[in-house]
Amino acid sequence: MQTNKISNLRGFWTILRKEILDNLRDRRTLTTMAVSIIVGPMLMFGFLWFAENTVKKETDLVNAKPIVLPVVGADKAPNLIAWLEQNNFEIVDPPENPEEAVKSGDERVVLEISDQYAEAFTQGTSAPLRLIHDSSVSGLEKIGFRTLQKTLLAYNSQIGAMRLMARGVNPEVVKPLQLNSSDVANPQARNAQILSMMPYLIVLFIMVGGMYLAIDTTAGEREKGSLEPLLTQPVARHTILLAKLGATIVFSALTLLLVLIGIGLAMEYAPIDMITLSIDAAKIVKTFIACLPFVFLGCAMMVLMASFTKSYKEAQSYLGMLMIVPSLPLMLLMMMSPQPSVSNMWIPSLSQGLIIIQTFKGETIDSSLIALSMAGSTLIAMLLTFIAIKLYQRERILG
Amino acid sequence: MIQANNLKKYFGAVKAVDGVSFSAENGKITGLLGPNGAGKSTTLRMLYTAFKPDSGSATIDQFDITRQAESVRASIGVLTHGAGIYERLSARENVRYFGELHGLTGAALNKRIDQLADLLEMEDFIDRRAKGFSQGQKTKVALARALVHSPRNVLLDEPTNGLDVMATRGLRKVIQRLKDEGHCVLFSSHVMQEVAALCDQIVIISGGIVAANGTPDELRASTGKDNLEDAFVSAIGSEEGLV
Repeated sequence: MQTNKISNLRGFWTILRKEILDNLRDRRTLTTMAVSIIVGPMLMFGFLWFAENTVKKETDLVNAKPIVLPVVGADKAPNLIAWLEQNNFEIVDPPENPEEAVKSGDERVVLEISDQYAEAFTQGTSAPLRLIHDSSVSGLEKIGFRTLQKTLLAYNSQIGAMRLMARGVNPEVVKPLQLNSSDVANPQARNAQILSMMPYLIVLFIMVGGMYLAIDTTAGEREKGSLEPLLTQPVARHTILLAKLGATIVFSALTLLLVLIGIGLAMEYAPIDMITLSIDAAKIVKTFIACLPFVFLGCAMMVLMASFTKSYKEAQSYLGMLMIVPSLPLMLLMMMSPQPSVSNMWIPSLSQGLIIIQTFKGETIDSSLIALSMAGSTLIAMLLTFIAIKLYQRERILG
Repeated sequence: MIQANNLKKYFGAVKAVDGVSFSAENGKITGLLGPNGAGKSTTLRMLYTAFKPDSGSATIDQFDITRQAESVRASIGVLTHGAGIYERLSARENVRYFGELHGLTGAALNKRIDQLADLLEMEDFIDRRAKGFSQGQKTKVALARALVHSPRNVLLDEPTNGLDVMATRGLRKVIQRLKDEGHCVLFSSHVMQEVAALCDQIVIISGGIVAANGTPDELRASTGKDNLEDAFVSAIGSEEGLV
């Protein structure tokens, strides 16, 4: 048998294959991937389910169950009471001390009809009413107050209009403005607002998917003492590094694909009425391809970081911190919600975030902007890879 | 055939190797003997191209270790210090991986692995995953990995470290056999008996320089000692760090 030098490409494939096999046998890698398909969508849909439930409860409260309303002096305004009952209020006797009762939280709101009400009403002047409530209360508890306010205002304008007509005045005279609003958001766009956290989820799992490989194939291998034997093989060091980066990218991309499929399936089958978002195969493929350069970038970043570190533990803590980096542009995205443009689509992570949101919304992004995003991330990734290769040439890589 | 000419390697102020020259012939076992920290490992690391020498040069089968590093690596088999193997791969997969990196494939590779398993008495665990292997088993895997491509030159860094008596005897047999097959074997050790029992040529390194170099007979003659061990001690100037 003669000694042979093998081609860089063959060396690359041999190392890539070994790293993939090795890591498929690693429970940590597999756990991470399983978690990404199951926990990712579950997190998201748990949140949506909670949001929907809250809204549902609110709607139920307003629509179905009568709101219990204690009224002081109900006998002084029979017409108003009838109006309230028509509007689904259940009138009950007031507590002894209404203000104390509201303050202590026994009652949310109490309506007090003053003694002058009947007289003022008959004379056609403003009839005094008092609403006792606690403005520090928020959320669902507030619904009774808001509904009561709305109902009273409706009664107010109805009586007002009738009085004007009785005096021969068109009620529109006192309504100088007619305010009509039309909501142009299509249901998909409204959904995407709720789903604005998807970029976080996806970018996070891209990083998590490759993290263990990035550590294991560099810092881990050095710690186990297998890096030095590997470096004595007739394969160029940059080939070794590229193959390891390649294996990291394979697992990261696979995790990305699984997360996207998980989200797509959950959208299809999760029992949530609020979102009618459909993420079909075409959208998944488009998002997957558009995010691949970021997969490259994230993995290059992690491999570079891991080759600095001395041990598995050290690499783990550094890479944990590294996870924050891609979420910073996403925070910017959340706060400013910019439109895709040449000025922001070159930014890694932010541009992928925009692509994810727009694609899921069902809106199209100019393909040149997608190309800009892909080129921007790829360029930075290549630069990081170049630095990692330089680091690998150092003798200190052996620790 | 390994030829080292005035190799030097400094780490900051530490002169790890400060001008080492020797040659190791084919069909002979050459031992690098020296106390811990003498520069044996650093010398070997330069020869197997993990480190670049600060000055001096070396060739392995006419290939220059700095300018033709990949050709050098293609013609050597290395057992590094602390034989790290992949725990999630079986012993066979570990050996196969390195065989493939040397361009071996398929049936020829499998046959070679079986041969090595037989030679190194690895049949019991060749198809088991390496997690939980004893130090001796790990060293055998690492040795098989170093020999899988039948390299003309074999470099072993403290190969008997952590091995028990039986495993050490087995290793000696393997080294002897490599010599008989015409390989150039270079190994480092701080165990005098081991070097005395095996080597045709002994290079004694101390403080980063070659303190003595020659066949056992030559060493005995030059130091004026009958006993080889006394000759070592006399060459190094102290017993410190030797076993």
